[in-house]
Amino acid sequence: MEQRTVTGRAMRAMPLAGLLTGCGGVQSALDPAGFEAEQVARLFWAMLIASGVIWVLVLGLASYAARRRGQPWSQQGASRLIVWAGAVVPTLLLAVLLFYGLRLMPELRAPGGPLRVHVEGEQFWWRVRYHPPGGAPVESANALVLPVGQRVEFSLSTRDVIHSFWVPALGGKMDMIPGRTNRLVLEPTRTGEFRGACAELCGASHALMAFTVRVVEPAEFEAWLAREAAPAAAVEPAAQAGEAAFLANGCGACHSVRGTAARGDIGPDLTHLASRPTIGAGILENSAENRAAFIARVDQIKPSARMPAYGTLPETEIAAIAAWLGTLR
Amino acid sequence: MPDSEDAARRKAQEARLEKTWETPSGWRYWSAVNNTEVGLWYTATSFLFFLFAGALALLVRAQLAVPDNDLISASLYNQAFTLHGTAMMFLFAVPIFEAVAILLLPTMLAARDLPFPRLSAYGYWCFLIGGVFVMGSIFFNAAPDAGWFMYPPLTTDPKLTGIGADIWLLGLSFIEVASIAAAVELIVGVLKCRPPGMRINTMPLYCWYVLIVGGMILFAFPPLIAGDILFELERLAGWPFFDASRGGDPVLWQHLFWIFGHPEVYIVFLPSIALLAMIVPTFARRPIIGYSWIVLAAVGTGFLSFGLWVHHMFTTGLPAISLGFFSAASEAVAIPTGVQIFVFVATMLAGKMTRSTPMLFAAGALAIFVFGGLTGVMVAIAPFDWQAHDSYFVVAHLHYVLIGGMVLPLFAGAYYYYPLIMARKLSDRIGRLVFWLMFLGFNIAFFPMHFTGLRGMPRRVFTYPGGIGWDWLNLISSAGAVLFAAGVLLFTWDAIWGIRRRADSPRNPWGAGTLEWLNPIPGPDYGVRSVPAIASRYPLWDDPELPRRVDEGREYLPDAEEGKRETLVTSVLDARPIQCLRVPGNSFMPMIAAVLTGAVFILTTFHLYWTGLAFGVAAILSILAWLWRGTAMVPEKHEKDIGRGVRLPLYASGIRSVGWWAMFITMTGDMTAFASLVFSYFYFWTIHPVFPPLDAAGLPMGPGLLWPGVALLAALGAWGAMLWARARNTAGQAGGLRLGLLAAVLLALASGGAMLMGPWANGLEPTTHAYPAAVWVLLGWAALHLAVGVIMTLYALARSLAGKLTREHDIDIHNVVLYWHFAAITAVVTLATVALFPLLA
Amino acid sequence: MLIHNRRHANLWTLLAPPAIWAIHFLLCYVAAAIACAKGGGPWVDLTTLRWVILGITIPALGLILVAGQQARRHWGFGTDDPPHDQATDEDRQHFLGYATLLLCALSFVSVIFVAMPAITIADCR
Repeated sequence: MEQRTVTGRAMRAMPLAGLLTGCGGVQSALDPAGFEAEQVARLFWAMLIASGVIWVLVLGLASYAARRRGQPWSQQGASRLIVWAGAVVPTLLLAVLLFYGLRLMPELRAPGGPLRVHVEGEQFWWRVRYHPPGGAPVESANALVLPVGQRVEFSLSTRDVIHSFWVPALGGKMDMIPGRTNRLVLEPTRTGEFRGACAELCGASHALMAFTVRVVEPAEFEAWLAREAAPAAAVEPAAQAGEAAFLANGCGACHSVRGTAARGDIGPDLTHLASRPTIGAGILENSAENRAAFIARVDQIKPSARMPAYGTLPETEIAAIAAWLGTLR
Repeated sequence: MPDSEDAARRKAQEARLEKTWETPSGWRYWSAVNNTEVGLWYTATSFLFFLFAGALALLVRAQLAVPDNDLISASLYNQAFTLHGTAMMFLFAVPIFEAVAILLLPTMLAARDLPFPRLSAYGYWCFLIGGVFVMGSIFFNAAPDAGWFMYPPLTTDPKLTGIGADIWLLGLSFIEVASIAAAVELIVGVLKCRPPGMRINTMPLYCWYVLIVGGMILFAFPPLIAGDILFELERLAGWPFFDASRGGDPVLWQHLFWIFGHPEVYIVFLPSIALLAMIVPTFARRPIIGYSWIVLAAVGTGFLSFGLWVHHMFTTGLPAISLGFFSAASEAVAIPTGVQIFVFVATMLAGKMTRSTPMLFAAGALAIFVFGGLTGVMVAIAPFDWQAHDSYFVVAHLHYVLIGGMVLPLFAGAYYYYPLIMARKLSDRIGRLVFWLMFLGFNIAFFPMHFTGLRGMPRRVFTYPGGIGWDWLNLISSAGAVLFAAGVLLFTWDAIWGIRRRADSPRNPWGAGTLEWLNPIPGPDYGVRSVPAIASRYPLWDDPELPRRVDEGREYLPDAEEGKRETLVTSVLDARPIQCLRVPGNSFMPMIAAVLTGAVFILTTFHLYWTGLAFGVAAILSILAWLWRGTAMVPEKHEKDIGRGVRLPLYASGIRSVGWWAMFITMTGDMTAFASLVFSYFYFWTIHPVFPPLDAAGLPMGPGLLWPGVALLAALGAWGAMLWARARNTAGQAGGLRLGLLAAVLLALASGGAMLMGPWANGLEPTTHAYPAAVWVLLGWAALHLAVGVIMTLYALARSLAGKLTREHDIDIHNVVLYWHFAAITAVVTLATVALFPLLA
Repeated sequence: MLIHNRRHANLWTLLAPPAIWAIHFLLCYVAAAIACAKGGGPWVDLTTLRWVILGITIPALGLILVAGQQARRHWGFGTDDPPHDQATDEDRQHFLGYATLLLCALSFVSVIFVAMPAITIADCR
């Protein structure tokens, strides 16, 4: 099937350092690249080691009890075991752990810096709006770019069903719930490319609702945001047919490409589509071939997506649109 | 009794007992209501659902074995994991607890049956019908597909869902009713049907667990039923309880679901641990050490488990301080759980362990459960849960807890109790193989998932891309699942076919000390030959002569002179005999009532409301007919000799009757459902700045004060009339009784009508906003309770006219008045909430 | 009163200490939920709520201590250690007292656990 090959290729195309070793991966909470993820990963390893020790002790005692020959323990000795090992020691350990966790919570939810990003979950993609301090909002979709070393305040919402916004490498997840706006603060601590995904079942294509996150130096971020805020670059003559076909087939009713007549608000903003590493909300490598496949067979690639498949269009037209989209940097 | 020496007389007694308790043959077999038959059907059915749900899990694992797999579609995958979770929780874990308890409890209590055998049968048939209905839907590609916790709006939006959501809601509501019925049966069984002398401090630990779990069911299931009602009203009638655009909130469902959902985990865990509490002392060859500690653990867990529900909602954006309370309670609940484990270890240390297959499974359960408990302590820390939540880490955690804490102890119990139930032991040789297949398969399947999850794999994805670190982990998990399944299949083979080639087990094959092993194997239909007086926790160890005395009919109730099924009722704390209870015998009525009740739910699913209503009326009539002929039966004499010179009454009413206890317990559950609806009302108050909302004219909406006031007075009048009627009956005035009942009926009808007039006359349209919908649902609930009260009152009137309700035989009026206490509280609280609270707010 | 001056222990006295925990838990949860939902926004100051939680925690702990006193009396002030497994009035009473005492300890610890968030968390974030 088409999907298998293209998805696989998309993922191979992503720069995945240290992929098969240790706990690495672009989507791993154990290879942290953010303040919260680092805190939690450290907490996890500490808890895991403690748990391992406790497990070995309990099971060791149990297996000693099962194999022991000779004099049974006295009633008093066995009762003491229940009091100390069963009740007192666990209570103290749990109290310490609980206190640590309770202190960590407000710290991780401390206010973010001046940059705010609004992300809205849709079936099955992400609407992204940057609110730079003092600047006008910048519209984007399905690909986040974040400055390293800054606490970024996310506001998260949805209008259709519950989604959950999760970038494991940066921090924990937060649900997007109709009627509510939730906040989440992420603070990337190193640059790199990461992947996020929807963590709450949201329909047939829940598995196909991902996004990319690129963490860059602050200066690079400013430059990128300025580019993203600008309308689409003037169309190369070779691609003009694609733009015409895009508009003629009504794509602009759902998608926006700033600088053209396409002003739709239903689907993802495509103004700078070509600058995003993936299409289809993080599921396909952003190549002309995949763009064409997505336009023609979105119903197979992404079950229950709201976009209709345009497989009835002539192949040349689809190819032209795909080519034109590839020029939108 | 000197003539019990007489062998001929004893033979005659045995023959009478046998005839009275005989299991019918042929097609009439299915009319059986005795716990031995119903318990067996219940166990077998829930095990079949377990196998089916396991097959669905294999389908899920096959799809996830490799990245970008296209073995099954997203839609089928979603149906498969939804039904897997649903069936494992609702059709296996809870029912098999009830099934095993129905099978074992009477034997542990040396009772001939539980107090309400037909209720057990009704519960079973409800379970079977509901279960087949829900699970069958997958063959029509119509199964629910939004996960076993069914979060709206994905499940309420008609554009996004098919009939699967209705099947889930109505099918499972139906089964929940059966669960509550079983809880009532088991609580009354433990409290009132113990053998003489089995005091609260000497009853088997299993009974303690059953008591606690029964109580938990009463407080955990009703919130889900309340949630189901709101959910179905939204789906079928458009009342927007969970629709944010019309004043509802999807998070309310999450609260209601998890107030059920977390105690549920302990509801399935405690009864399985209870089996270990019976097994460990047997193989340690000594009484349990820390009996009181087990009681602490069971009661403590029972309470604390109700303070954990929000830990399933740590990522919904609730304030950190709220998360903190639940995080704290989630850590606290680890304390009683730890105590439980160390009680077993301590008992092993203080005893002389013998090796056995049940202990092998118990040890495996311990190894897995302890790890699951430790990861549970981890996810209870909210910041860690923000990463782990809804990832495969949680999938791993919950399977470690449930398979270590529930499935493996249950298998230990199966190996232990097989000779008791099926008269033959399972093979130890095959058992070891089964164990290692399951144990290794389980760990191979689920241990890697901890890392799959922390490497970022969300749960409930039908596919995943290759190359981000999940490929090998998933393949290993799938391989482990196959091993685990092989173990289960091997067990199934041995349990059905393997045992056929073996000889019957000897009596008390494990040398246990508790009463369930008292009987010869295979045991007769009537259970114990006579009901012994008990003086210790392990009577078979402490009193080696006991089986002989029981067999010779020297203890209580050695006969069934009148050919009636009888069992003993004793007092709660000290088990002093207080009544010889006649329990009803075999009947098709429970099955007929269950089929009719099931039809109501199934027809509603398909929106066939009028036919559904007709079946509803038929269901009520069938239940009334069953009650008329099978409950509050007037005995032919006041009391009878139950042996050893003790005479007990055959009839008891009020707090002394088991029916009163059943009504009280059922209504406690009912009040919990009501409290959940009231909670929902106030929940809407907290989320809306202006509540009640303003209508078009800018005035606050509401049902007014006039009609609620009328309804309140009439409801209190109906209640008063019932109290008066009961007093007249006690005074021996049948006329006064009937007059009071009639007055109560008329006042209740007036009150119910006035309740519904309030929102109607004030133009509250339930589809416009969550507020009017919440008002309607509360008033509708109260009015429905008055309507049920009317039916009960008319039933009491008919009993009085038929001479079955008199001054001496007054069970019915006491139980109906008890119902009215609860109905009156419901009415008063409802009216205060909808009419007076807006004045304060 | 259920937790004080009862001559005989029964199932209700056994359930009283965890019921106190449950009421304390519920009050904390409801108070916080209302304070944050009605307060508006994540930066609502919770100083008052934290005092309120302290104000319900101390009485809850006190009641559990009272219940523990009674349980200790029912147990016979420690004169009779478990197992309490004889079928006598005395053993039944001692068993219930001892189990209640254990539940008091668990409830006491759990009430403290549940109050801990008020120490570390000062607003509705």
